[in-house]
Amino acid sequence: MSAAQATAARPRVRRRSEISERRLAAYLVSPSLVVIAAVAAFPIGYAIWLSLHQYSLIHPGLVRWVGLDNFRDALTSHAFWSATRVTFIFTAISVTLELVIGLAMALLMHAAFFGRSLLRAVVLVPWAVLTVGTAMMWRTIFDADLGFANQVLQALHLPGSHTVWLGQNGYAMAVLIFADVWKTAPFMALLLLAGLQVIPDDVYEAAKVDGATAWQRFMRITLPLLRPAILVALIFRTLDALRIFDLPFVLTQGSNGTTTLSLYSYQQLTQNRLIGPGSALAILTFIIVMIVSFLYIRLVGGNIRALAEET
Amino acid sequence: MNRKLASAGAIFACAAVAAGCGSSGGGSTGNTVAGVGSNAKTVTPDMAKNPKGNVTWCIGKDTTGAFSQVVKLYNQQNPNAHAKLLELPTSADAQRTQLVQREQAKSPECDILGMDVTWTAEFAAQGWLRDVTPAIEARKSEFIPSTLETATINGKDWAVPFNTNAGFLYYNSSKIKTPPKTWQQAYQMAKTDGGLGYQGARYEGLTVNFLELLYSNGGSVLSSDGKKATIDSPQAQQVLSFMQQGIKDGAVPKSNSTWMEEESRNAFQNGKVAMLRNWPYVYALAKQAGVKFGLEPLPKFGSGQAASILGGYNLGISTYSKNPGTALSFINFATGPAAQKKFFIKSSLPAVLTQTYNDADVKKAQPFAPQLLTAVQQGKSRPVSPVYPQISEAIYNNVYSALSSGTSPQTALKNAQNQINKALQTF
Repeated sequence: MSAAQATAARPRVRRRSEISERRLAAYLVSPSLVVIAAVAAFPIGYAIWLSLHQYSLIHPGLVRWVGLDNFRDALTSHAFWSATRVTFIFTAISVTLELVIGLAMALLMHAAFFGRSLLRAVVLVPWAVLTVGTAMMWRTIFDADLGFANQVLQALHLPGSHTVWLGQNGYAMAVLIFADVWKTAPFMALLLLAGLQVIPDDVYEAAKVDGATAWQRFMRITLPLLRPAILVALIFRTLDALRIFDLPFVLTQGSNGTTTLSLYSYQQLTQNRLIGPGSALAILTFIIVMIVSFLYIRLVGGNIRALAEET
Repeated sequence: MNRKLASAGAIFACAAVAAGCGSSGGGSTGNTVAGVGSNAKTVTPDMAKNPKGNVTWCIGKDTTGAFSQVVKLYNQQNPNAHAKLLELPTSADAQRTQLVQREQAKSPECDILGMDVTWTAEFAAQGWLRDVTPAIEARKSEFIPSTLETATINGKDWAVPFNTNAGFLYYNSSKIKTPPKTWQQAYQMAKTDGGLGYQGARYEGLTVNFLELLYSNGGSVLSSDGKKATIDSPQAQQVLSFMQQGIKDGAVPKSNSTWMEEESRNAFQNGKVAMLRNWPYVYALAKQAGVKFGLEPLPKFGSGQAASILGGYNLGISTYSKNPGTALSFINFATGPAAQKKFFIKSSLPAVLTQTYNDADVKKAQPFAPQLLTAVQQGKSRPVSPVYPQISEAIYNNVYSALSSGTSPQTALKNAQNQINKALQTF
């Protein structure tokens, strides 16, 4: 609305100075800003408003202003910190593994050899499967009695064929991470592959002429030139992993040390209908994700631009 | 994206659970809940005498087509009225969310609310239900008394029972010759004759399984005025230690801690366990799978009284309904003998009327009907409270940590007690 008024007031931008160009740009993006405000800013603001209240479960329609009490309760509760710890452990391990495996996959896909397009298609299959479907599949595979995992261990006479994978603390997290890595490593690989393809071949040829070994070429050429792509992929995956919900929801319903922040706030909001405390948890999750993305952009965002200009 | 996947997940998770998802219970009479019924509108049987106009029945998915058949039959018999079926999702959680959203918006769309027995207190407390006490009074003797308990709060009835459910002890008859009479015997036999399974994952099902032993041992969750937790009791400690010991001894397999209804059924059918606590839906499936088995109402704990937790649905009339009289007329029809028989035979939804269990056709279609009637008559409801989800969460979280991470029963029950008290303070 403000955009329309503003444009009406100044029908023509006369001077071509940088300032007026910027103003024009502002006018041009303002319609999309209005849309963003409606679909993003309003819900966030509303959630903040909800988080400052308590809604009665006993007296119909009764609402009480409680200020920051819901936040204080969350920050002093064991459940919140345990969910935070679980979320960060999950994120750190799964994103690291995804990066290593994704990079290996990208290098494989990049190498020109027989059957490359088939390999690319096969590698991408896990990424194409719905996460909930993936989770159901892994739950069946890691079923203690009939699951494929234990059957294989048994057939190979390996120890641990009676492990209750989803019923014990460390193992449940391991399955969660495993399922996530299986699904999203291809995504990582795809992003990195795009990065690999813009590295010019002549750099490698020059290095070869100078007698660099494959390992030297990887460390001195591939990795440095791939850094922008790696950073982008890391940001994507980290922010996604911090919000993980679907995998623990299906695999364990949060039992055995797998209640993540998103799952915990869902339980409070939807299951227990604690609208105030649940919204406070959602806001806290939001703040944590914001802080992490801010740090990423601060620490590496500048680098991306610098690196992009170098290449 | 996450939200979409979440609801899809809920549907998957619950679809697999079939009967168990919508299962809840009936217990002691005289539930007290502060605030229920202060300004409620009443629906009397007279209002149902001349049904006319439209009503909408909102209930979970009509998987067998029986719901729509009954709606059609009602419309044929009542030419001036028109009932419509609005199918909600398969998962109980998703159904509740859908109904809550409509009621919060004061929507008149759903006249008749199909509620899991555990939500009825919450809906009544929120003022979303009309008082149907006179309608229940007029037909009280038809119902199995235990099925009325989840809908009776502060001396008034807030919904009409629609279907019920109760747990059975299934036993593999090639391994177990005489079914156990007590849980103690059952665990003893399980140690030597092939194990016992139940719903031991960290979810609603574990609350149900724990309460069945607790109630049978004379324990309780809430004080009679509903204001205080009473779960930290010697009876509860005895039961929890007993269950803990069962896992240590190997009477109950370790993987039981990941089982919901379907996983435990599979374990029984595959011979992993020789005994199984589960809902009646297992009967037909285990028969199909060719398992040789018998079933009995649940055993008792020591010298106590056997107690199954009751599941099922109630039908309530929305405060915002524009046609409450016709809504009641439809409810009377859907909970009447003809419809109840149809639901029981066609959809395996256990009836709430005593007479249905004695019907020859019912006995033929559902041979376990006599045992089920006993089980339902002995049935108890889960705590009747608007904050039931939090109470149940406190129970299954702490029972689970005692059974699976070795928390002492004392600590687990003390934590449960504190968490339930905190939930009850929710204003």
